[in-house]
Amino acid sequence: MIDYSKKRFLVVDDFSEFRTSVTGMLRLMAIKDVDSAARGEDAIAMCRNTAYDVILHDYNLGAGKNGQQVLEELHHAKLISPHCIFVMCTAESSQAMVMSALECEPDAYLTKPFNRASLQQRLDKLVERKLALKPILDALTRHDQKAVLAACGQIMEDNKRFVPQCQRYKAGALKALGKHAELESMLAELIADRPMPWALVLLGNHWLDRGELDKAEELFTSAISQFPMLPALFDGLAAVHAARGATDKAQDYLEQGLRISPHSLQRQHELGKMAKANGDYDKAVRAFRQAVDLGRNSQFRNPENHLQLASSLTEQTGDASPGSKVLLEIRQTLGDLSKTWKDDQALAVRAHLVHAGALAKSGDQTAADKLIAEASTKMADLPTFFSANTALEIAAQLQKLGHADKAEDILATCAEMYGDDKKIMDAIAGQTSNPAILNACVQVQGLNSKGIRSYQQKQFPQALELFRQARELQPRNISIALNTAQSLLRLLLIEPATELQTECQECLTQVSNIPSTDHRYARYEKLCATVAGL
Amino acid sequence: MSDKEQSDSSHSLDFSTVIASTVHDMKNSLAMLMQAYEKWSVELPPELNKPAERGMIEYESLRLNGMLVQMLGLYKLGVNQLPMRPNWIEVEDFLQEQLARHDEILQSRDIIGTYEVEEDGLMAFLDTELVGSVVSNVINNSIRYAQSAIHLKAWSEDDQLVIAIGDDGQGYPPSMIEHQSDYVLGINMSTGSTGLGLYFGQRIAELHQRNGVQGRIELRNDSTLGGGEFRIYLP
Repeated sequence: MIDYSKKRFLVVDDFSEFRTSVTGMLRLMAIKDVDSAARGEDAIAMCRNTAYDVILHDYNLGAGKNGQQVLEELHHAKLISPHCIFVMCTAESSQAMVMSALECEPDAYLTKPFNRASLQQRLDKLVERKLALKPILDALTRHDQKAVLAACGQIMEDNKRFVPQCQRYKAGALKALGKHAELESMLAELIADRPMPWALVLLGNHWLDRGELDKAEELFTSAISQFPMLPALFDGLAAVHAARGATDKAQDYLEQGLRISPHSLQRQHELGKMAKANGDYDKAVRAFRQAVDLGRNSQFRNPENHLQLASSLTEQTGDASPGSKVLLEIRQTLGDLSKTWKDDQALAVRAHLVHAGALAKSGDQTAADKLIAEASTKMADLPTFFSANTALEIAAQLQKLGHADKAEDILATCAEMYGDDKKIMDAIAGQTSNPAILNACVQVQGLNSKGIRSYQQKQFPQALELFRQARELQPRNISIALNTAQSLLRLLLIEPATELQTECQECLTQVSNIPSTDHRYARYEKLCATVAGL
Repeated sequence: MSDKEQSDSSHSLDFSTVIASTVHDMKNSLAMLMQAYEKWSVELPPELNKPAERGMIEYESLRLNGMLVQMLGLYKLGVNQLPMRPNWIEVEDFLQEQLARHDEILQSRDIIGTYEVEEDGLMAFLDTELVGSVVSNVINNSIRYAQSAIHLKAWSEDDQLVIAIGDDGQGYPPSMIEHQSDYVLGINMSTGSTGLGLYFGQRIAELHQRNGVQGRIELRNDSTLGGGEFRIYLP
């Protein structure tokens, strides 16, 4: 017999009769500590204060978040430990299962109506399972993936009953540790035996990540014929086609996935982006609108959806100028954006420009210019520059609004900071033919590659000289600054010198506006730490 | 066909969709009804608590629920929207769960429900939700005909999982055993819910397939308890 008397329970259902009846069943199992809530939002708030052992959550709560959304929020906010048992109660489990994301599934589904015997039987099994898997769950709580692997191996050897659960944890750990070959052979073997949906999706995405698009497509396609109600498979196919540049096909698959499961914020966001790229502004508007709605009071909200909704609304009117209703929705959407992310000045700049675009199209150039001026002022004060893609977007907007000079400034900075990436340079060349911007990069790139060659040959003084020349031309170029700093550090480690150390510090300060999303950010931080430790 | 008829047909509702969404609401309604009943019956003074009526209400509502689940399932099969989510499970857990669902009814009817799994720790790959709804309907049906006992049994045969539900009733009518393939194919629906149940069971079994072998169901009258036995084979 399992002792439930010390366990803390949370029952969430919008009907008070159900809460009372389940609480009654739990009392008969000697459970004393039972909290209840009527809304998912309340449940999330309660989980902030109490670490529940078991949560019995209704799937369909009427208005507000559904059970799956609550579970995802709890995971995202780390309000639920791997040890907690989350049971999804539903009138129809198959529906709830379709809506669930494979990476965030409840521990069990319990179909209503259920009696005490069913509830107890199910809870007994779940408690027993969590107990058996405790070493894995402990390791997960510590984010120690190597320990997860070790624990999986041990439990699989000791108890064959838990092999299926262990395999899933094992696959997750292999992925987290970047053990691609091992993950691939494990999944392929599992699938050859039985077509487990989670393994199919994981292997398809694995091939997608590795760029093996044909393999991924073949797997997703055959999996869909077996599991036509698994939206993750459609997402996979959409990603395959998007990677090939076939955005129309990608859009089609995203729409198929959404027909099965429309409440996914991420999927709506992807559809919006794809539809916009395809010039299908009606669908883009609808998708971004849904995404904004789904993100309300959610930790998954994403300001991109607001910005994209506003700009898609502007595009949607085609050659006609946007009417007052459209302008109202744009104003409300951007107002919502600035209220929700009120401290983010970079977002404010982007919102101003999107709004200016709509106003200019409606014929109100004065109001548009006012917003552009405001945006320019804000932009000058930004502590960090935009990511490359955002910068390109802003430049395009400014260009369209008739501020070619401002657009060129942005492009010049963008080229300087990110110009060593060929794709970004190509995109910049698509927007400007200004030789000062395009050629500066060519010259700098030449010096940079020579510098790198010298560095690799351990000719550090020569390398430093080349990087210095490059830096003189483009002081804000992140790669050059980091390369210069690294060469200086090399020399400093051999022989300390105050002026070299100062120069090194300057290099790093110069690029301190690097966005934390940049792939060079980790390297930047490491160099800063090394200099600080000199 | 006249123009008028044509325009009528293009405006007509898709009746199966109407039924499906209504059934969905009916299921929710029934769940509410049962909860209210349960709450109320606990508070009832003992002299008003009539076991026969209670048993009837509980049994029939479970049966009703089973029929609604089946109807939704059939609709979704028809439009190819029945989600299949197979998983590895421990067969013993599954059988326990099925009996637990019918716990009160078995008790109120003085029927003993037992189960056995031939091999300790037997694992199987199946969709518990779908197979569970089939097994639950069969148990419901067995309870109606059983005198004192029903028995669930599972074993592995030719790489397939077999789940058998038997009782100590009179068994299936000989004609039903003889013509079971008609029911299974959905040809003979004259027996109403029973025939439909067999058809549903077969379709769910068929969704489970491996290496070209499809799942199936079988009716027999040689249960160890002496009555009828329903078997579902899952590769």
